[in-house]
Amino acid sequence: MKTLDIALKDLTHSFRSVFAVGMMVVAPLMLTGLIYFAFGGISSGEQSMPAVKVGLLNLDEMPANAQLEVPLGDNIRSMFFVGSVAPWITASDYADETSLRRALDEQEIGVAVIIPKDFSAQYLIGNKEAQVVVMSDPTLSIGPAVVQNMVTSMLDGVSGAGIALETLQFRQQANGIQPDTAHIPAWMEGYTTWYADFQRTLFHNPNQAAFIMVAPSAGQTETTDPIQKVMGLTLAGQMIFFAFFSGAFAMMSILDESENGTLARLFTTPTDRTAILAGKFLAVFITVIMQGLVLLVAGHYVFGISWGEPAGVALALTGQVIAASGLGVLMISFVKSSRQGGPVLGGGLTALGMLGGLMTSNMPNALPAAMNTIAKFTPQGWVLETWQMVMAGSPVTDLLVPFAVMLGMGLVMFTLGSLQFRKRFA
Amino acid sequence: MNAIEIKNLNKSFGDLKAVQDVSFHVQTGEVLGLLGPNGAGKSTTISMLSGLLNPTNGDATIMGHSVTKEPAAAKASLGVVPQDIALYPDLSARENLLFWGKMYGLRGPALQSRVDEVLSIIGLADRQKDKVGKFSGGMKRRVNIGAALLHKPAVIIMDEPTVGIDPQSRRHILDNVKELNQQGMTVLYTTHYMEEAAELSHHIAIMDQGKLIAYGTYNELITLVGEQTRIDITLNSEAEKILPTWRKTLGVSKIDETDGRITALADDSNRILPRLFDSAAEMDVRITSIDIQEPNLETVFLHLTGRALRD
Repeated sequence: MKTLDIALKDLTHSFRSVFAVGMMVVAPLMLTGLIYFAFGGISSGEQSMPAVKVGLLNLDEMPANAQLEVPLGDNIRSMFFVGSVAPWITASDYADETSLRRALDEQEIGVAVIIPKDFSAQYLIGNKEAQVVVMSDPTLSIGPAVVQNMVTSMLDGVSGAGIALETLQFRQQANGIQPDTAHIPAWMEGYTTWYADFQRTLFHNPNQAAFIMVAPSAGQTETTDPIQKVMGLTLAGQMIFFAFFSGAFAMMSILDESENGTLARLFTTPTDRTAILAGKFLAVFITVIMQGLVLLVAGHYVFGISWGEPAGVALALTGQVIAASGLGVLMISFVKSSRQGGPVLGGGLTALGMLGGLMTSNMPNALPAAMNTIAKFTPQGWVLETWQMVMAGSPVTDLLVPFAVMLGMGLVMFTLGSLQFRKRFA
Repeated sequence: MNAIEIKNLNKSFGDLKAVQDVSFHVQTGEVLGLLGPNGAGKSTTISMLSGLLNPTNGDATIMGHSVTKEPAAAKASLGVVPQDIALYPDLSARENLLFWGKMYGLRGPALQSRVDEVLSIIGLADRQKDKVGKFSGGMKRRVNIGAALLHKPAVIIMDEPTVGIDPQSRRHILDNVKELNQQGMTVLYTTHYMEEAAELSHHIAIMDQGKLIAYGTYNELITLVGEQTRIDITLNSEAEKILPTWRKTLGVSKIDETDGRITALADDSNRILPRLFDSAAEMDVRITSIDIQEPNLETVFLHLTGRALRD
């Protein structure tokens, strides 16, 4: 009972501290919120890409004897004016390259597309030098990638039409049929239109833009909304990072008590020292659990994040709590004073967080393989991996190994820290 | 029955012998003043009594319970008021008292009513909902004492409870101690304020350099000094210049200097003072103030150790 009283007292202390609440809940939500708004915000409850302003300079001309109805440049240009991209692409034509580049330099547009004068002619004879120039504001990432993808898709369609036509003509000749050259432009136009529609269905969707940024790992089930997935991984990283901070800072109350004399006073009461330490540890556990629950619920309702199956979430959260509390107890047991604690914990936990991949949690495949190996030596790395698996829909049975590792790491650290504390306050 | 019984208590920290073979007792229902300069071993002795430190040798009992063999029972009989404020500043006075009451095993309505009583005793019932961190030093001291009274301990140890507080709060605390003692509580009170020890204590124990050097009632201790008078002198120059001369002056039994103030014990101040003035004049040392006092506890300490207690 006294253990619970001590834990409740510590929790009251923590939750009355603006700094503690800020570190536990506000900071991770704020950081995730910033990323959320960077991805387009929460307008109308539906995720959307911020509108990309595209400037177009189409100099392409119809080549002589081309079996086309219009130059390819016209097709590329018109692609940016169709209704399906209107909510997220605002396109405008420019008369010359100078005005287009100036508009890009002055950030009136985010992406500039230049289709050269003889593009159709060069492309149709298979000249690899033929190219559409795409320039972008270096501060943007997703918008230019989407535009690049659209242009490439369109040109793939044209190439596909050419190949289809060659194949048709080859088969007609092989079967002694005279090629019907009169209908070739219509066929090519038809193929290109079909391909454009196909691509539009596939990629002319803002959510697919995020899909480009987060390629799924093999064997994982993709969530229906990639932006939500990015947000989920981002908040997971933040949640883990701050959970470890919360565990350590909650445990630091024992140093505060030691310095303020209240720990010594507790030892003068008929309360067993084990019960006192257990109370402190319990407060750390509850703090990290509550923080995790608040962030999970907030992440779901504020950012629409789907965390995964409840059983998997429970397993990941439990592992996170044990690992974060264990590391907090271990680190604080070797810290001499609360003054020393701030920099030691700040530096140590940030370094471990970075090594564990928490700073790049929304880009799971971005780190080199060596870093992924190093992450395996940090509790943060295992916690992150577990959350990534849960969010990717991995079955609970697949989570047992990482959970066991988290549990083992947490318990070992907790035991070592407890022994150090007992020795210190014996 | 003795409420506190200390038998051959020793505590060493490496080579440092902080407490050496200390034995004394505190009778049930009395106030014992424990005096001594910094480093005398008072706090170490109290830490062993309250279970914070284990004795290297020896033992002590609180209401018959050994602090080494039955620590929980000993602690249950004991309330400790630490020298520094040991409270939670972000909890209110009431929340602090409720928490400390629980640590002594109080629960439910009994705890609530006892907290009400203690708030009344310490005179903070009207400020009970305010956070302790916002209190003045004196008010914090009162809560600090209140937290040790919740379980109605048979014995209370107060470690310098009036350090650094305003006269009003100091008076309130001293009155509290007397009232608690009148209600039957045994008090072990450490202080370096002689007048507090003299006012409150039935018996006084004096410690120096880890040893008990005197024990008795106020009057018994004063008789150790005999008929000697204490003379406090302030000079306008360094005391080292004249101290060796005065030390050899006939009739001066003990003399010591602290912070520019010289304290001397003399058999007959009327005969000694002219000699001191003469030698000061010869050495061109000017006496700026002189104060002749009847023997007190400081005189006793000077008599026993050759050093002023304020050391």
